[in-house]
Order: sequence, then C-alpha cells, then structure tokens
Amino acid sequence: MSAVAEQTAWYVYGVVESSFASTLEARVVEEGELAAVVDVVPLAVFGEQALEEHLNDRAWLETHARAHQEVLQEISLAGPVVPFRFGTIYHESDDVRGMLRARETELTTALARVRGRVEIGVKAWAGPPPVQPARAPATGRAYLEQRLGAQERVRAASAQLAETARDSHLRLLSCAVEGVANRPQPRELTGRDEAMILNGAYLVADVEPIRHEIERLSADYEAQGISFELTGPWPPYNFVDEGGEQ
Amino acid sequence: MTHPDLRTSGAFSQRSSQPAQLADVLERVLDKGIVIAGDIQINLLDIELLTIRLRLLVASADKAREMGIDWWQGDPFLSGGRDGNGALEQRLKRLEAAAGIEGDGDE
Repeated sequence: MSAVAEQTAWYVYGVVESSFASTLEARVVEEGELAAVVDVVPLAVFGEQALEEHLNDRAWLETHARAHQEVLQEISLAGPVVPFRFGTIYHESDDVRGMLRARETELTTALARVRGRVEIGVKAWAGPPPVQPARAPATGRAYLEQRLGAQERVRAASAQLAETARDSHLRLLSCAVEGVANRPQPRELTGRDEAMILNGAYLVADVEPIRHEIERLSADYEAQGISFELTGPWPPYNFVDEGGEQ
Repeated sequence: MTHPDLRTSGAFSQRSSQPAQLADVLERVLDKGIVIAGDIQINLLDIELLTIRLRLLVASADKAREMGIDWWQGDPFLSGGRDGNGALEQRLKRLEAAAGIEGDGDE
C-alpha cells in the first residue's frame, strides 16, 4: 500500500469463508476461517459527518447503495456470503480482524444458514378495484344506503386482499427454506398505480419450485386483478440477522 | 462447493436486461443485512427513521410537498394500525426532530 495523504477507512461489504475469499477478485481482510470483503474508502466521504450528509443526497445514495449491492451480488452468485448493512466502516484493517474474531460464531452460523441458498423477492400487486356504476340516489335514504353499501364493499375488498396476500405468502413459503413478508412499499415509493399487497423475501436452495408457484399464483389470482413479480436472486440480506440486535 | 452457480443457470437471465428497482435495493442495503457496529456509526441508522427518510428521498421533492409530510400516515405498519393520530404524530415529530426534517416537508 502506498502512503497516501488522504485519510482512509475500511468499508466492509460482507463476510465469506477464507477458502472462498481466495477465489474472489476482491480486496479481503482474513482472520482464521473468515474473510471480510472490503474497500478502502476516503474518510472525507465516509467519515461520520460526511456520511450523514451524503445519506440525504439522493443521487449519492443511489450510486453507493447500488455499488454495495453489486459487489455483494457478484459474490453471492458464486458462493455463500453474509451481507452487511450499508455503511459498516472501520478505521484500520486490524479493527476489521477484531470484528471477525469477536463475531466468529454469529458469522459462521449465518454462513451456514445461507450456504447453497439464494434470496428471491416476490411482490404481489393489486389493480384498482372495479368501478361501480353510479346511479343518482332518488331519496336521502337511498343515498345513505348507497354510501353504506360502498363502504361495505371497500371493507370486503380489503379483507379479500389481505387474505390473498396471506395465502400467497404461505404458498411461497412452502417452496422455501425460510421466508419473510416485509412491509409493502407504498405507492409513493413504487410509483405504480397498483397497490403492493405482498413484499416477500424467500430463502431457497432451488429457484424452479418458487418460480412455478408464482406461475400458479398468477393463474389463480389473475381474475382478482392480482399480479406477481419475482426479483433476484439477491444476496441473502433478509436471512442473516438474528432479530436485528446491535 | 454446493452453492448453485446461478451465473450459468439461465434461470434469471431476465435480470441482466432489467436492473433492480432502486426501492428494492435501498430496502435491502439500508434496512436488512447483518447489523454490526463499525467504528464509524451512522447516527441516524434507526430503521424506522431511515424508512421515513428513504421515502422522502425517493419521492420527488415536489411530490412530497404536494402530498404533505403526512402521506405515510395511511401506512398501517408505520402507524401501527391502531394508534390514534396523537401517538403517531408525536412519534413522527420525535423522528423528524432527530432527522432534522422540517415539519413542512422541506428538505
């Protein structure tokens, strides 16, 4: 490493086994059986204050979030990796080694959990409800009944969507080792007219069964205006943390 | 190695022509993945808070203003699906204060 005037830090993307790390064209910090996939980054960009400011910059966030994802993506397609959350940074490579020692059991367990498996994302979308032909109410009573009827239909439709989401998640789970139904993304985030009713992530050893189940779900729920979308395979982001402890 | 080599399986050849949605990427890299405290902390990396900021970032500034700052109130997950507005508003005010987000929707 050449001497640099610029102050730097060590950015950790994720952790792999040392034996696998040697096959990667990536910078790694090894400690025993484990290796962290790292980059050396300028503190001017990734220091605490700079990072906080940058997180508010949409373009910066997109570029760097995608870069984080792409590094992990490439690795995860070739072998087991424990993805770290964006922005895990150490001052020195020795600090990274210290982390690998301190977290050895947890990281080894996580690697075993995801070995030979990938994460598949499945989203279910509900189209807009059918428009009821409106007829001008003849009386006040008719108006109230119409209003109540409309409210009842909305309630029934939303209960049905919830049941569809539940059934879909259970059927997808039956093709997966593990699965989680995450918070559906709001329209403001998706930019779509349809409402997201399921935002699932599934850990699978084989992608074909879940692909087929998605086809069956699509056929079964098409008449209700529900469509399904598969994303991935992803690095197993959703399946490495034991309950989100610090 | 037992890991399926998906680069050659062709099962997901679609992904090369279809880049991942930004929302899907952000949701994963900011909100999931293992959380291990590094030396340099992002102070505000509270998941709830980040989710809110993330939504503000992803929605265009104009759209966010147009919708007001309260557009996530319809989200049963963020509102807990049971809160009266009082509790939710207090929570949002706390989060906004911590995030330095002005209540009027300006960045």
